Amino acid sequence: MYGTSAKILRVDLTNGNIETQTLREDFYRLYPGGKALAGYILLNELPPRTDPFAQENVMVFANGLLTGAPVSTATRYVVSARSPLTGGYGESEAAGFWGPELKMAGWEAIVVKGKASKPVYLWIKGDRVKICSAEHLWGKLTAEVQESIRSELGDEKIRVLQIGPAGENLVRFAGMTNDLRHFNGRNGLGAVMGSKNLRAIAVRGNQRYQNLAYDAKTLMDTGSKIAKSVKENPLSWDLQERGTPGLVEPLNTGGILPTRNFRQGAFEKVEDMKWEAYEKELLTARRSCYACAVRCKREVAVDGRESPYGGPEYETVGAFGPNCGIGDLQAIAKAGELCNAYMMDTISCGGTISFAMECFEHGLLTLEDTRGIDLRFGNAEAMLQVIELIAHREGIGALLAEGSKRAAEKIGGEAHFFAMQVKGQELAMHEPRGKYNVGMGYAISEIGADHLVVAHDSAFAKPDAIQLKAAAPLGITKALPPRSLGEEKMELFYILEKWNSLEKVVGFCFFGPAPRSFIPIEDVLLSINAATGWNMTMEEALQIGERATNMARIFNLREGFSRKDDTLPERLFQLLENGALQGQSMPRDEFEQSLTILYGKKGWDPQTGIPRPEKLRQLGLDWAIAMLPPCE
Amino acid sequence: MKLHTGSYLTFYMPGRKSSLELSLDAPTPLVEILAQVGIPLSELALAAINGKLVEAETAMVQDDDQVRIFSAIDGG
Repeated sequence: MYGTSAKILRVDLTNGNIETQTLREDFYRLYPGGKALAGYILLNELPPRTDPFAQENVMVFANGLLTGAPVSTATRYVVSARSPLTGGYGESEAAGFWGPELKMAGWEAIVVKGKASKPVYLWIKGDRVKICSAEHLWGKLTAEVQESIRSELGDEKIRVLQIGPAGENLVRFAGMTNDLRHFNGRNGLGAVMGSKNLRAIAVRGNQRYQNLAYDAKTLMDTGSKIAKSVKENPLSWDLQERGTPGLVEPLNTGGILPTRNFRQGAFEKVEDMKWEAYEKELLTARRSCYACAVRCKREVAVDGRESPYGGPEYETVGAFGPNCGIGDLQAIAKAGELCNAYMMDTISCGGTISFAMECFEHGLLTLEDTRGIDLRFGNAEAMLQVIELIAHREGIGALLAEGSKRAAEKIGGEAHFFAMQVKGQELAMHEPRGKYNVGMGYAISEIGADHLVVAHDSAFAKPDAIQLKAAAPLGITKALPPRSLGEEKMELFYILEKWNSLEKVVGFCFFGPAPRSFIPIEDVLLSINAATGWNMTMEEALQIGERATNMARIFNLREGFSRKDDTLPERLFQLLENGALQGQSMPRDEFEQSLTILYGKKGWDPQTGIPRPEKLRQLGLDWAIAMLPPCE
Repeated sequence: MKLHTGSYLTFYMPGRKSSLELSLDAPTPLVEILAQVGIPLSELALAAINGKLVEAETAMVQDDDQVRIFSAIDGG
């Protein structure tokens, strides 16, 4: 088999068993890594209603087929388990260096079960695997732990994937990091790892992807061509030049910069937060992931000192900035640093704090609850204090570490209205009232509110725009307004969701392939086929993506999710308070009608959203039909 | 007038710089200025003159105006 070692490492932390599983090619072609492989394993090996913090929860760390290939942005891996934040299908992706290093060590995936009796870390050097004590590392910040592991193992090139103290303390939105600047942030999977007493997975490998490839020359030539094109395409050029922090000003101008817990769409202090301010106040360098020429990562200095952690990306800037009413870049950078050191998702942490701020301003949380912290919008000092409290589950942090949904349930009254979450996961910093497909993505995503379900509406708004033209191989040719729903918009959503899902399977970052970014769609297929020799068609590729989302859907149905969970926070059906889209709201009836249309397009029952058996057969998921809920 | 670009429109600016100053003898259609500078109208998603959003296709620009333009903004 080409393109993969086909080997999965299976570790049982309860009894210390370490085993190797080898995948067959006919299996791997249907589930070629990432989201697909993780989904298959979870659906078949994790019983429904397993407590996410119980040792029976199953964690999968899955590379994509192309992770580690010499192609820019082919760097991503997926971590999955039952999420402690949503109670549903848990998934988080990251890039950086850890996934490629795991591939170079000869592994496609790691499946972790059970719980160690004391804190441990895994040490994987090629095919040698050891479970090492992490008792001396427990409680320490991520920068210190990375250095300690590299030092005690005697190799500075070891790649370390780790949780932080927040994961140890079971903060429901704790994440994990590799190289301190690439994050599996969403869905609280760091807390699952913490519940297993697993602090880190250290990896070192030396096999080159080229040795796995069916046609290494074509793969390398394609990668070389793609690398050279980075500076010649406006999308990739902008990612390198400004990166995502450049989003603040245009989103504000468009009235879709989430501000004060999504009450508003424009922020009065945006002048202090534009790219020019970021570049002047924070930026020290631009960095990259493994073998990637895009270089979208920002390095920063915080309070005049080089930070050991990556600089804040847009989501962090948005979540700790305008959405908390804060316009101080230094405070935002510190907030990001704290989250990286304790290892918490900046989106959910910021979204939970903005929820708490609004509760405080409405008297639902008091100074007594916060033990004297004046937790109002705009109070940066308070925000930073609360981040620490959350990481340690102390004071008000004990409540907020549960996430905004559970915190709202505990507070009661109108608090639920201020929790900007779907299925328990906080919204990312994109305002759906300006981009309706983003809203549909938040609603329907298996993992709760997620902004990476489809490429955003704005890319397809104007005929002759480069992103729309680049989408033609997917069958997308018609421009549609961002604030529209209906049949054609849902067809656009359906196709884009399959394509994004494929990227999550084979390991492409969203800043790689068109239509979101610069890599021609044909080159994605070319890379897959050069790696494997499979002669995969577009139809097969999209089916792989659709198979993966259907498995995640079935997982959630088994956990008791239903159509009523595919919804949006009530606030989004109400009017934006300010900005260019002042007075706009998501149209509720149209939203529900479009959800029905979308379900139908996906081959699901249009009313219930349950996949139809014939759809599952079409996708080769006959084995999953028995897992569907009974018809009513 | 002062023209400022954001998102990936800066790619199309002279020297790929995000700011440019132009003297206008008379009120000029924005589309003409964009054509002159080399910014494709198809990539323009937002245009604001002196802080107010305008329709790019019909907007007129005066010599002392501050113009900010952006391409489509996607997530990541």
